[in-house]
Amino acid sequence: MLRIRVIPTLLLQGESLVKTKRFGSFTYIGDPCNTVRIFNELEVDELIFLDISATKQKRPPNFELLQDIANECFMPLAYGGGVAKLEDAKKIFQIGFEKVSLNYASLMTPELVTQLSEYFGRQAVIASMDVKKNIFGKYQVMSSNGKVQTGKSPIEWAKELEALGAGEILITSIDREGSWAGFDINLVKQVADSVSIPVIAHGGAGKVEDIGSVVNEGNASAVALGSMVVFQKQGMGVLVNHPCEEELGRLIKR
Amino acid sequence: MMGKKREGIACSRCIYDSAVPNIDFDDQGVCNYCMQVDSLTKQYGTGHQKGIDELNSIIRDIKASGRGKTYDCVIGVSGGTDSSFLLAKAIEWGLRPLAVHYDNTWNSAVATENIRKVTSVLDVDLHTHVVNNKEVDDIKKAFMLAGVAEFDADTDIAYVQVIRSAAAKYGVKYIFEGHSFITEGISPVGANYLDGAYVGDIHDRYGEMKRSTFPNMTFFQFLKWAIVYRQKFIRPLWYIDYNKQQAQEWLQDNLGWKYYGGHHLENRASTFAHTVWLPQRFGTDYRNLTLAADARSGNKSRAEALEIYNAPVIPDGELVAYLKKRLKISDQEYDSIFKGPKRTFRDFKTYKKRFERLRPMFYILAKANLVPMSFYLKYCFPIEEKS
Amino acid sequence: MIAIVDYGMGNLGSIQNMFKYIGVQTKITGDAKLIESADKILLPGVGAFDQAMTRINESGLRDVLDHQALNQKIPILGICLGMQLLTNSSEEGELPGLGWINAKATKIPAVDGLKVPHMGWNGVTQCWDSALIRDLPTESRFYFVHSYAVQVQNPKNSILKANHGINFDAAIEDGNIYGAQFHPEKSHKFGMQLLKNFARL
Repeated sequence: MLRIRVIPTLLLQGESLVKTKRFGSFTYIGDPCNTVRIFNELEVDELIFLDISATKQKRPPNFELLQDIANECFMPLAYGGGVAKLEDAKKIFQIGFEKVSLNYASLMTPELVTQLSEYFGRQAVIASMDVKKNIFGKYQVMSSNGKVQTGKSPIEWAKELEALGAGEILITSIDREGSWAGFDINLVKQVADSVSIPVIAHGGAGKVEDIGSVVNEGNASAVALGSMVVFQKQGMGVLVNHPCEEELGRLIKR
Repeated sequence: MMGKKREGIACSRCIYDSAVPNIDFDDQGVCNYCMQVDSLTKQYGTGHQKGIDELNSIIRDIKASGRGKTYDCVIGVSGGTDSSFLLAKAIEWGLRPLAVHYDNTWNSAVATENIRKVTSVLDVDLHTHVVNNKEVDDIKKAFMLAGVAEFDADTDIAYVQVIRSAAAKYGVKYIFEGHSFITEGISPVGANYLDGAYVGDIHDRYGEMKRSTFPNMTFFQFLKWAIVYRQKFIRPLWYIDYNKQQAQEWLQDNLGWKYYGGHHLENRASTFAHTVWLPQRFGTDYRNLTLAADARSGNKSRAEALEIYNAPVIPDGELVAYLKKRLKISDQEYDSIFKGPKRTFRDFKTYKKRFERLRPMFYILAKANLVPMSFYLKYCFPIEEKS
Repeated sequence: MIAIVDYGMGNLGSIQNMFKYIGVQTKITGDAKLIESADKILLPGVGAFDQAMTRINESGLRDVLDHQALNQKIPILGICLGMQLLTNSSEEGELPGLGWINAKATKIPAVDGLKVPHMGWNGVTQCWDSALIRDLPTESRFYFVHSYAVQVQNPKNSILKANHGINFDAAIEDGNIYGAQFHPEKSHKFGMQLLKNFARL
């Protein structure tokens, strides 16, 4: 039976790794390749790299850096950030990544999702959405690093993305990101229950138990971890780590 | 030149030879550095009741000063033997340490993993400062272009600045250092210059980026830590018995710690400095520090230590490729750097003259343990020029 | 020297990197002469069956590959789609496979809410002994990404099995021909052990 995947998710800003809080203030985490070597040693299931400044700076992915990263990794890799056309995706797969993630592009040019999934197969395409609660407490899909409202609800958008050909959905709670307060299980469950493709929960993991809850109650097929894998603990220093395999095994299918 | 092999007379007890600066030999052929270690051992009562009592008294002071605070002492960790062992000892002594690490983004995976294992098994909080990787690369390249020996000076000064800043942030007065004169010997005067002005000037002249995340230590910051914050440096390993191999075995068995292959080899930048930059460019091999200490303490036979020292340092080919890639240096540029002019701290702005002028003040601070005595001895006196 | 066949489909860099990590020399090549001179051959593959067979047939490599595999009996390892190409045919395409192992690839049925493609880390069971799987821990897991699965005719050719709705062959062997459905180059130490074993044959 398939393992529930636990996926460290690393944010690239320029050529540095950073970690944000609610998509705002950031902390330097380190050199991408050097950090990836450690995750390699820790034998993590998969890694997701998101370039959070590519779209804003209107530039394509940093292929050279991605090549260096891919050369270090002996596990599956996904990349998102500034992927705007088929050629970008082709290069990324050639470099040695298994999946590409589309966020801004999926909103602006949804046909790209279909194009990529037809060309590379559904399993190679992750559709990523960032969600925030508005002042009425309603979930809203946001774009441009959480700055622009799209007017879409997560459920309707998730269904559309599945229809467009996405293989997985990466759902990020902007409110919970960097908070250590636990996943937004309500949000994840709503989305996971509305589609048949796997949903990766992202944003808010603070302890191993959170992983168990979002999988068992939120129906997530995988979890993406941010702060938990790059900080020793909340408010403390930068230290690459991974939840203990034994503890994970007690909570979810491993 | 420090550490050049087989020059003239060698000490009959350790392996330092006449190439080592400021060296002297007595009628038995024993060098003054050995005498210094002996004298320090006597002074501090290392491994004897005197040392243990002294340390216990310091521990009592630390506990008292830390009452009501989250931490009572700060310990710099690198993933290496000394700092990991020290952290374990601090817990054993009933202290509440904060582990502090300066991450120059060149750490080996082993080092980071060691820090993680040690802090998690001992349940110690970790404070870090991570410098922007592009910034530190720019600084490192500047040092190579400048042609000075101190390739890793930026890490050394940042490390101190980060530890002192962390101690100040958490209101902690006591800073533990893992230096041991038994296992490392005394670093000869004249080797390795280090101060914030030196690091800053080299980067200003040969670098391209502005420094914004690099924690440099200015002269006034240095004084602030010593005089205003009155932070005290304690070296527990000067008081107790310490054997590196035994420490490593204990760390392996109890904390899951792993050995990384050699002194200072837990970080790729310092590995480059010790295995490539210093030996190949300057003919300096700092292994003589630990090997001399091994011979001096009887940990290794003098013959064995000499044999190891005389065998050439084998650099890791992958490491050089990694450095060239990271610093964006082509093969040609790398070769021309190695053929370029060699410089010393005398060619750049430093605080040296200031340190010498203020010698009386630093003497008082050293006596009060507010600056390391080794700092006073090394920096407040003129350093003779080597030919 | 192990030749990693470049016919335009597959993540060759990652495979080369893992071999490099374990100290094995490899050459990524689409040149028939170089392939002929190699001690072992690695046939990668990511994508569609027919597209891959067409490329191989039209690249001028078909003859040398057949010769090395069937006449010279050089050890050959097919990975992922590469393993499916070793078979007689696949439901995914119309063209015949290389036919080096008596087997067929069929679509994994998406019954009872089972998610296809089979994507993720999965465990395997050892069925028949083989030098390829020596020293693999019993708790080995590998990274799979595929929608079509292979089943061999002769049970002795099946060395590792896995399950995703149906039981299928995760690794196969027939003389000098080997196949792995998973991606060893993405399976950490488990993949490393497998590639090490292949290099040592």
